[in-house]
Amino acid sequence: MISSLLRIIAIGRITLTEAVRQKVLNVLLIFSIVLVGSSVAVSQLATPGLDSAGLFDAQIKFVKDFGCGAIGLFGFFIALLSTAQLIPQELHNRTIYTILAKPVRRSEFLLGKFLGIVLLLALSVALMSLAFAATLYWQEIEGIHATTAAYDGTPNWRANPTAVNSYNHDVQLVITQVRDPQIIEAVLLIFAKLVMTISIALLISTFATSSIFTIITTFFIYLIGHMESTAREFWLAHGADASIWQTSLVGLISLLVPDMNSFTIVDEILAGNKVPWHHALSLLGYADVYIIVLLAVSIIIFDYREI
Amino acid sequence: MMESSAPVAAPFAAETVGLTKRYPLTWKRKVLVALDRLDLQVRPGEVFGLLGPNGSGKSTTIKLLLGLITPSEGEARIFGLPPESLEARRRVGFLPENPYFYGFLNGDETLRFYGKICGVTGAKLEKKIEDLIELVGLQNGRERPLRSYSKGMLQRIGLAQALIHDPDLLFLDEPTAGVDPLGSSQIRDLILQLKKMGKTVIFSSHLLEQVQEVADRVAIFSLGKKVLEGSLESLLTQNEGTQINLSADVSPEQQARLVDALKQAGIEGGAEAIRFTRPHLSLEQLYLRTVQTQADPRAKNPPVQ
Amino acid sequence: MEIPASQMSTGLPLSRRLKRAVLVALLLGLWAPFKIVWEQEIAREQDFLRYRGITMTRHLRDELGQGLTIGVLSGMRSVVADLVWLNVPIAWMNEEWFKMGGYINLCIALQPRAPIFPDMGGWELAWNASIAAKQDPTQPNVLRRLKASRFWVERGLEVYLRGIENNPTYWRLWSDTALLYDQRLKDYRTASTYYLKASELPNAPVYLERFSAIMFDAKHANDDQAAYAGWVALWERLTPEQRKMRIHEGDRIEGEIRRLEQKLSIPNEKRVFPN
Repeated sequence: MISSLLRIIAIGRITLTEAVRQKVLNVLLIFSIVLVGSSVAVSQLATPGLDSAGLFDAQIKFVKDFGCGAIGLFGFFIALLSTAQLIPQELHNRTIYTILAKPVRRSEFLLGKFLGIVLLLALSVALMSLAFAATLYWQEIEGIHATTAAYDGTPNWRANPTAVNSYNHDVQLVITQVRDPQIIEAVLLIFAKLVMTISIALLISTFATSSIFTIITTFFIYLIGHMESTAREFWLAHGADASIWQTSLVGLISLLVPDMNSFTIVDEILAGNKVPWHHALSLLGYADVYIIVLLAVSIIIFDYREI
Repeated sequence: MMESSAPVAAPFAAETVGLTKRYPLTWKRKVLVALDRLDLQVRPGEVFGLLGPNGSGKSTTIKLLLGLITPSEGEARIFGLPPESLEARRRVGFLPENPYFYGFLNGDETLRFYGKICGVTGAKLEKKIEDLIELVGLQNGRERPLRSYSKGMLQRIGLAQALIHDPDLLFLDEPTAGVDPLGSSQIRDLILQLKKMGKTVIFSSHLLEQVQEVADRVAIFSLGKKVLEGSLESLLTQNEGTQINLSADVSPEQQARLVDALKQAGIEGGAEAIRFTRPHLSLEQLYLRTVQTQADPRAKNPPVQ
Repeated sequence: MEIPASQMSTGLPLSRRLKRAVLVALLLGLWAPFKIVWEQEIAREQDFLRYRGITMTRHLRDELGQGLTIGVLSGMRSVVADLVWLNVPIAWMNEEWFKMGGYINLCIALQPRAPIFPDMGGWELAWNASIAAKQDPTQPNVLRRLKASRFWVERGLEVYLRGIENNPTYWRLWSDTALLYDQRLKDYRTASTYYLKASELPNAPVYLERFSAIMFDAKHANDDQAAYAGWVALWERLTPEQRKMRIHEGDRIEGEIRRLEQKLSIPNEKRVFPN
């Protein structure tokens, strides 16, 4: 058991090393960090012509949405592109021969590759999250400055306890919006969704002939995944009434494709609404089991693949 | 597994029974028979050569014996075990024909990685890496990424990784292809050294002279079938004629006297039947003799003797 | 060597292929019903928490255009809503009020539980659009201008109320609605209830509760009885600690109660601050 794990970890580390030493990845990462930071610029566009009370709310929403959106988007590209060429590259370069001639199981090889990409994604998301956190902190400082400036319009306001109370309250509002611990929940959910994407891409690559096919198919499944809830509800409610083709199609989607849309709850978290942790854990659990099923199927298919 | 009181014979290092591999060529609606009912037996401690032109089935045989591909029919066994089993692969090392390695890793990292997936770890692994680097003479290149290696260096790192877990059976696919004669002879010496250590070596090659130097037995393949098999001694020895080797020079008068003496001994034959020629070096022997006497001024370490 | 396919069987033995397919089908078949149950459970919880994402209807797709639709479908709903919102200030600058209203409603449709959209949107309509219509230089008829102005106030109110329906605990929406009833619609009683409700919600500033009582003073509803009842209600829901704090801060609550008790000639035994 332990030796199996050690082999998986060794292959995982190699996969991560290879990805990290690729220049393309570094460019993508820098780009994404820039995007996270520039979310601030976009937020400025959103709020002309309004009083300062609503201004910060709107700005911080934009920064949060675009920041997490950038993490999700770039995470998606990193996940998809690295996973899609994992197996084809090993087959093309025949490096897989040397490895499989060693006492390594095919399943360990596949799991090691998976581990490597998940680590890569975790690293990327962590770096982007740091940039995001820095951006948020910058917004907090800006917000406090703006509040202070607004109050400074009234001379000697600090002598007035009501004004001071009001000021403290406003500053507190700024801080609570920025330092929302639920943002961690949001990032975790984004990460889970991306690991599901990796698992889907890995599964497809076990039987696909080219990485382009894997990329396109995974992308489509990802999109359909956001409509799966609609399909499922239709199927459960009206499956009996619809035509055989409709029922089969909708049924197939409901049975196999993951419900990606349920992860859009990240939007709600970023808008400041409370999402209880047990709900997030339920979603994370769903993602975990789904990933395990996909990996198991991938292992079965890969075990029998001619190389 | 049944208990048996009779002693079990030591299994062959590698054995195939009716081993067949077919590939469907769907676009031509034909089937490619890459290997046709191969029966082969390699004993432990042997050096066995697989000969034949490209596409004759040598590489397919090796891949089947490594468990990399599955047979369409028949069976293969490594030390009595199925080739895809972990136990079998633990006792087998593979030097692939082309460098099927990760170009972004350097020599040390490569050996460390393959060692780890073979279950060699820690201080034992580090010592093994040192020993192997020295054995194959890669002190110069160990810090450089494999994508910068020359063909000869790649063969050397390939041998090192094949030996990292101390296997009993080695598969070498065209081990000296594209390697300069000096490197080739070093690899040949290595093979002989491995044989002395009791290891079994199965290798495929085009370079007939080199096979001749090391192999005990060979099999010749053609179009997916094994056409000939046997020890070099038995295959190459011509059935007719005798060869006598003299280290002394023989003048024309002495040659004539020798012919008379042979005739008197009852050995028949005219001028063509008995020939006197100078012994020949092989070109390789001449080359090695010439090249080895000069140390390479570019190398930091002197070449391995 | 090559042999016609008809003469030989090819590829993986059928048993291996079959075995593989059966295993995969088994695994997926075991997971599928479990998956559906779990998903339904999650959906139910999200319904309960009122966080359901929107469904992509044809109408929505037409309004968004292809690029943004794909954005929504790839889970970037809030970013798409934000991008749509960027059109609002532009429409405002161009004084295209109907277009602006359209964008505001689209944002609310995309992300109903983002209170910032109805909050800012309602303001844009009930104040900016409304006042611009009132001062519209192209409309010579005063009555028409007032009517247009009122029209936008009502549109703004609709947006606020929609916002409250989806985000019942966001204090600003209640407070903004109260302001609208107070200053534009002159309905002080309704304004008072909205101010009171706003003051009870999390993060609400303290001064809001004061406003609920102020709505009945001379400048507004001019109803002393209601004003008195309001101030007393506020006082009574404070703890003794809070009362001390308020007095220390110079809160006008005590002053108002005393003044009104005097004005209304409340009998001493019923007074909060007896003589």
